Amino acid sequence: MEETSDHPNPTTDTPGTTPEPDLKTMRSSKPGLKRLLITTTVLFSFLSGLPFLWKSVEIYRSQLPFHDIDSLSDQVKSAPLRFPCTFHAVFVGFGSNDPDQLRSEIQDGVNQLTGESSQCGSCNVSISVTVQSPDELCSETFPSTCSYRCGVIKRDSFGRGLDDAVDESLDDVFSGCSGGIGKMYSVVVVNKENGDEVKAVVGKRRHAWIVGSGLEERFGEVVGRVSEVFVKVFMNGGREEGDSIRGEFMPVGSDGRLVLSFSLLNSNPRDWIYDWDFQRIDEALLAPVTKALAPIANISVESQVLYHTPKSSFSSWDEKLQSYIFRTSDLPFFVNSNEWHLDTSAGASGRSKILQFVVYIPSGKECPLHLQLPNEEISKTNGFISPMWGGVIVWNPRSCDKDSESPSTNTISPQDLEKIVEVFLGQFRQLFGFKSEATYTRELGSYKILPSERGFTKWELDVLSRKHTCFNLHSCATTLGSLSRLVQSLPRMIIKDEIGEQVKYSLKAAKLAQSNASLGGYSSSASSSREARSLAENAFFHPSIMSVSYFSYEHCFAVYSPFFLPVAGHVVLAALREWRRYKQEKAKYLTWLTRKQAA
Amino acid sequence: IFFGKRKKMKNLTLVVMLLCYSFASSSGDSTIHTNNWAVLVCTSRFWFNYRHMANTLSLYRTVKRLGIPDERIILMLADDMACNSRNQYPAQVDYRGYEVTVENFLRVLTGRHENAVPRSKRLLSDEGSHILLYMTGHGGDEFLKFQDAEELQSHDLADAELLIMVDTCQAATLFNQLQSPGVLAIGSSLKGENSYSHHLDSDIGVSVVDRFTYYTLAFFERLNIYDNASLNRSYDPRQLMSTAYYRTDLYQPHLSEVPVTNFFGSVMETIHTDSAYHAFSSRISNSKIKSDTPFNQPFNQLSEQDVKEDLQNTNNQNDELKTEKQKCPYSEMRADLHEKLKKIENVDTMVNLSIAVMILVVMVSSSLL
Repeated sequence: MEETSDHPNPTTDTPGTTPEPDLKTMRSSKPGLKRLLITTTVLFSFLSGLPFLWKSVEIYRSQLPFHDIDSLSDQVKSAPLRFPCTFHAVFVGFGSNDPDQLRSEIQDGVNQLTGESSQCGSCNVSISVTVQSPDELCSETFPSTCSYRCGVIKRDSFGRGLDDAVDESLDDVFSGCSGGIGKMYSVVVVNKENGDEVKAVVGKRRHAWIVGSGLEERFGEVVGRVSEVFVKVFMNGGREEGDSIRGEFMPVGSDGRLVLSFSLLNSNPRDWIYDWDFQRIDEALLAPVTKALAPIANISVESQVLYHTPKSSFSSWDEKLQSYIFRTSDLPFFVNSNEWHLDTSAGASGRSKILQFVVYIPSGKECPLHLQLPNEEISKTNGFISPMWGGVIVWNPRSCDKDSESPSTNTISPQDLEKIVEVFLGQFRQLFGFKSEATYTRELGSYKILPSERGFTKWELDVLSRKHTCFNLHSCATTLGSLSRLVQSLPRMIIKDEIGEQVKYSLKAAKLAQSNASLGGYSSSASSSREARSLAENAFFHPSIMSVSYFSYEHCFAVYSPFFLPVAGHVVLAALREWRRYKQEKAKYLTWLTRKQAA
Repeated sequence: IFFGKRKKMKNLTLVVMLLCYSFASSSGDSTIHTNNWAVLVCTSRFWFNYRHMANTLSLYRTVKRLGIPDERIILMLADDMACNSRNQYPAQVDYRGYEVTVENFLRVLTGRHENAVPRSKRLLSDEGSHILLYMTGHGGDEFLKFQDAEELQSHDLADAELLIMVDTCQAATLFNQLQSPGVLAIGSSLKGENSYSHHLDSDIGVSVVDRFTYYTLAFFERLNIYDNASLNRSYDPRQLMSTAYYRTDLYQPHLSEVPVTNFFGSVMETIHTDSAYHAFSSRISNSKIKSDTPFNQPFNQLSEQDVKEDLQNTNNQNDELKTEKQKCPYSEMRADLHEKLKKIENVDTMVNLSIAVMILVVMVSSSLL
């Protein structure tokens, strides 16, 4: 250590003077502050730079609205979504009935059928009744939701002619009705004078009718059937499983898209080759279906023709039926996944759902090929589905005789194609949970359901919209909940802006879906809920959440400590040392001063 | 290396959670079994690891034969033997060579791919899928080596209905951290044991298959797609020279009730189509027919084949035969130290403490200089 103190003047010699000032314990000049200042400045600059360093290595996390996500999850779980529906019953030819009493009876019937539980997708029902007496005077419940002009439905002439025509006429009758909020479903009960059996038909739009004679006597049964139509048909869509929302019959991909992939399989082209004019049926027959389902799924259609595609199960010759038989126990093994290269879709993105529809043409060795059901009957459709996968139809050529020359190339005739498309529509409905046939039977009787060219009637589309809204909202809430829990549990994971945006829009779409549902717009709530689900899935499955190297504390430490630790150690130690030295020098100076004063 | 290990542990905790949440909505006891997927991974390359490639490829062939199509198999091979022209069974390899990394593996399992990844490279399972995951390569205590450069640690998958088969040394340790329900795990050896190869081929010059895989495949060769055998089979520890380990506590049904086709093989639930939807013929025909034609039974719903219980003895987890341990004192000492270290509960505080000690040492030493 350098000493800059002056040497004490040895000439002053006073009696009793101080001995030679000891350099080690005294100094005559005040110690300077420069050294201390320099070192503490350096230390201080290090310390003041620390917050900037901290900020610069901060993880960028976009703020997710956790509170909103939690409230959406709570809402979806606790308050199942219900849609407003209006049921309107018109009784024609009933003399002595009071509409209000009828309404309460129907309400009781409906309550009994729906049970106490309110599941998601069910209706908030409001019922109104109109009674038209035989002399064409009307009385209706108050408030009247529908301006049904009295006398339009004639008691005697109703129900004659084709059911389709009756349906059209009913549509004209009720077309002026806007119904309160939500869609209005109506049932017309006509009590004829003379008579036929009771017939119940459900139309293609939102109307149904029950026609018969002597209905006024069998009044309780009539009310029961009306409630059945309202609840089992219009509200539940004729589906048996009304309660849980199972994903098994909701074949829509998580990005809201569905791809229908049609394949024509020639199992042995050496026998015969078939081709089809798919373009025509796509434009004419499939386009209306696709359009009708637009709120529920964005559907695209593809087709291909494959050759050399044998099936992997076996069939046996049945002498009595004169054909080859395969049974329902063979069905799980029918699809020969090894040889049928069905999944060659170029248009489907990662998260779309693909449904395969296969038309299988058997080879000459197995022609004709029929499906035998367990009750020994032959299937009328020769087809089956597998839920969430698609359907298979076995189509036998007209004649099983092989030409002796080279294999014939044929095109499937338009009539046959139409029949195939009808079976396909039945399968498509089955995949969505509906029945493929056009009847619905309950204890009180059976109802004939008119088929629609669009594959689904309007009320069936309503049921689908409601169910899918529920399912999509539930799935969206679950996904967002998982995402928020994940993000909160890993505080050092980077969350990009894109994810935050997607979550925000997803929540917005979910709220829109809920408000549309309460206003009664079924299809608009279905499309908003679809969007909400797709955005939530995009956010959750964003590839950046998969960063295998996110910045843990150890990583930070390991990167920065070789830079800062040695230097920091030296700086701190230097400051401490200077401080100690300053104190020492100060003490020395003070002792010198006291000595001087004492002297 | 120390920090690397810690980082990877945290990575895989992340993956566990990601997977838990990814499949959160899929676990339900009423979901039907829709399809089977298989993810077959071979993690070692180079010629002397031929047997690992062979393991994976033989299992690939078996799985295809039992019905799972190429579209539902994800095959990851670290070396390109499958595409060799001498190979009799060319395979559709989805991830090959240097694409077999921990990151790609985890991306396959969690479904978080970039947008441009083709469908054939994705695991497109849905709620009703059963997934078979088979991994082979070199492994050790709680890790599996990926291509000499990375490790996959035991904080691993968490999914509904997953069967994991691992054929490496100390395979059972890879399952230590599994927690979610619905996972069934089979490992070829316990902790501290090695898995051995089966035989050597003098033409090729290296071992061609591992014992565990060999006996598994021998079992499957005897099956065909109509069989009802259950997964409950016993491996003879003398033949394997290691103890095959089943982790069944997370999987609900008892092992003897689980048919092999649950994971190996193709399964389809089928429903007969009763009638066509006469949307077009109704335009023409007279529709005044009464609707009481008898129609077929609704919904010939077929479940999977009824499982007949195989009455095999469940002596999987016998512990009679332990592998020979070296009697070397050095390794015993190491083992003791390892035991002690394992008992320390809170690893984090220990790490932080040691960092503090390090800082002190640095300060002291730099002040002395």
